[in-house]
Amino acid sequence: MSILKINNLHKNYGSEEVLKGINLKINKGEIVSIIGSSGSGKSTLLRCINYLEMPTYGDILFRGENMFISQKQIQALRTKVTMVFQSFNLFDNFNVLENLMLSPRKVLKISKDLLKEKALNTLDLVGMKDFYLKYPKHLSGGQKQRVAIARALMMDPEVILFDEPTSALDPEMVGEVLDTMKTLASTGITMLIVTHEMSFAKELSDRVIFMNEGIVYEEGTPDQVFLNSKLPRTKEFLKRVTH
Amino acid sequence: MNKVLKKIFTFAIVFGIIITLIPKGNAEDLVNQETTDPIIQEAVENVRFYSSFNYQTLTTDKLNKLTTDFYLPTSYEDIQITYIVDSLYLELSQIPETISIRVGTDFQTIEVLKVTVIDLPNVLKGEQLFNIYATYSYDTTSYTHAYQGYITPVIPNDFLGGSLYTLVRYGKMFLEGAGLTIGISLVGTIIGFILSLFLATAKLITITPQDRKMSKAVKIFFNKLSSTYITVFRGTPMIVQASFFWYGFGLFGNALLCGLFVVSLNTAAYIAEIIRGAVGAIDKGQTEAGLSVGLNYSQTMLFIVFPQAIKNSMPAIGNEFVINIKDTAVLSVIGIFELFNQTKKITSLHYRQLEAYAIVALIYLVLTYSTTSALKLVEKKMGMKPLELTSSN
Repeated sequence: MSILKINNLHKNYGSEEVLKGINLKINKGEIVSIIGSSGSGKSTLLRCINYLEMPTYGDILFRGENMFISQKQIQALRTKVTMVFQSFNLFDNFNVLENLMLSPRKVLKISKDLLKEKALNTLDLVGMKDFYLKYPKHLSGGQKQRVAIARALMMDPEVILFDEPTSALDPEMVGEVLDTMKTLASTGITMLIVTHEMSFAKELSDRVIFMNEGIVYEEGTPDQVFLNSKLPRTKEFLKRVTH
Repeated sequence: MNKVLKKIFTFAIVFGIIITLIPKGNAEDLVNQETTDPIIQEAVENVRFYSSFNYQTLTTDKLNKLTTDFYLPTSYEDIQITYIVDSLYLELSQIPETISIRVGTDFQTIEVLKVTVIDLPNVLKGEQLFNIYATYSYDTTSYTHAYQGYITPVIPNDFLGGSLYTLVRYGKMFLEGAGLTIGISLVGTIIGFILSLFLATAKLITITPQDRKMSKAVKIFFNKLSSTYITVFRGTPMIVQASFFWYGFGLFGNALLCGLFVVSLNTAAYIAEIIRGAVGAIDKGQTEAGLSVGLNYSQTMLFIVFPQAIKNSMPAIGNEFVINIKDTAVLSVIGIFELFNQTKKITSLHYRQLEAYAIVALIYLVLTYSTTSALKLVEKKMGMKPLELTSSN
């Protein structure tokens, strides 16, 4: 059974239609990359999935269930489907450890001592254990993003949404974040990644989705999309980004 | 320029401390032996001293603030009175003269001895105690009665002397006023800050599509209430608010509490807008990150957005405190003796407006400048951008 199912999803900003009927199925443990040019609706799709943007029309089913019913259910969904942002969005008023512990403590009501151990283990996974008392302003972009990934992991999510996780980084810091994501991929968690890192998408993904003007234009294995695409828009896009 | 200003302020502060430490003349109360002779008793009760100014009777109160020459009667009916004046500032004439004083509707001529004020103490020395021993005698009986008073410094005519006199003589009144001003401003700003958190929260409420009808109505109600409150309090002068609550309702039955209430309410409206602005300036990503890890909207606001917004508003809130130091002057209108009203009281004592208002302007400047400097220092320590002092509201 698919963990996420999206049926005929539409999103309008005023009269402008950004998503024009998206249909998608994400299976458990799958790593899916979403590529496409700016304004194609990649990020909006991702933000609709955990209701940071409210869909105008259509259903999003998590484990076959529509969660867009009450505020409580939306919150429950967000603990199962967490998000990593382009601009990290660490809580500036908390240190690294507190960033990780805030939500589990307030939402899941887990005791501080239990959480601390878990948080340190999670930080170890992303290679940031030594920085647990630092504040976000003292971290580099790459370090911040690794902490943000650790924070997303703290709720034991089933799906993590990555919204262009390396776009705001200096080139030399992209590597460390991608490495962290590779480590994460090997744990079997479901990942949905909006990215401009084509080689990364090609290497890591089980499936690649190419979006164009608010629709899923093409989808398939990395080889199908990157090497053997027959569709003109895909070929044009890939030609532009790889040269 | 800054250095000169600092020197002036340091001087003013040190001077303020010194004048409060200057000893005031405190008299040991003279205990007169009671006389048993009824005739002398009557004389002691009825003998009066007369001021050279219109031959007014010198009451005890006037003796305690003596500045001019005066006359001592040499007799009362059959009783002869002789005097010894014990003071470096007074001189008793040995040659009797006559003055004409008013008794009822008639004038009466009496024989007196003149006491001349040969010197007035300066203001730094303060008022000086003097004793007059009057010996009442008739036949073989005699009784000595002691009188006591103070020779008081007079305000000099020139500006500098007048200022010094006002500052030293009424320094304590200025300090009391300044203390009250700081107190009201500080407490008012703190209470206002606490109130403002509720106001800002109410004003920031947003309605989500998931809201039921009831909660939607409640949200709209609080939102409108907060907006109206802020508009009304920012749109009316504090002097009107103070008069409205005090003269209109006699709130709390205590002008001071009522004034504090008005300052708090007024400040709350301003700080609410500051905080609302600061919340708006917090990156939207912070809210989204809070929501995306499963916190609800209130938790996100409480734990993430508000703490950051409040920290960023601290310079502006400190600025509100400085503004309050100046603006509490309007509370004089409801009879609170804060700094400005104390000054008005002082001016009425000598009718020397220029000196008193020049001093109070300087005191206000010292208060606001030192508060601003202190706040800047704190902000620098906390790594915030200092805010320049804006104009009064």
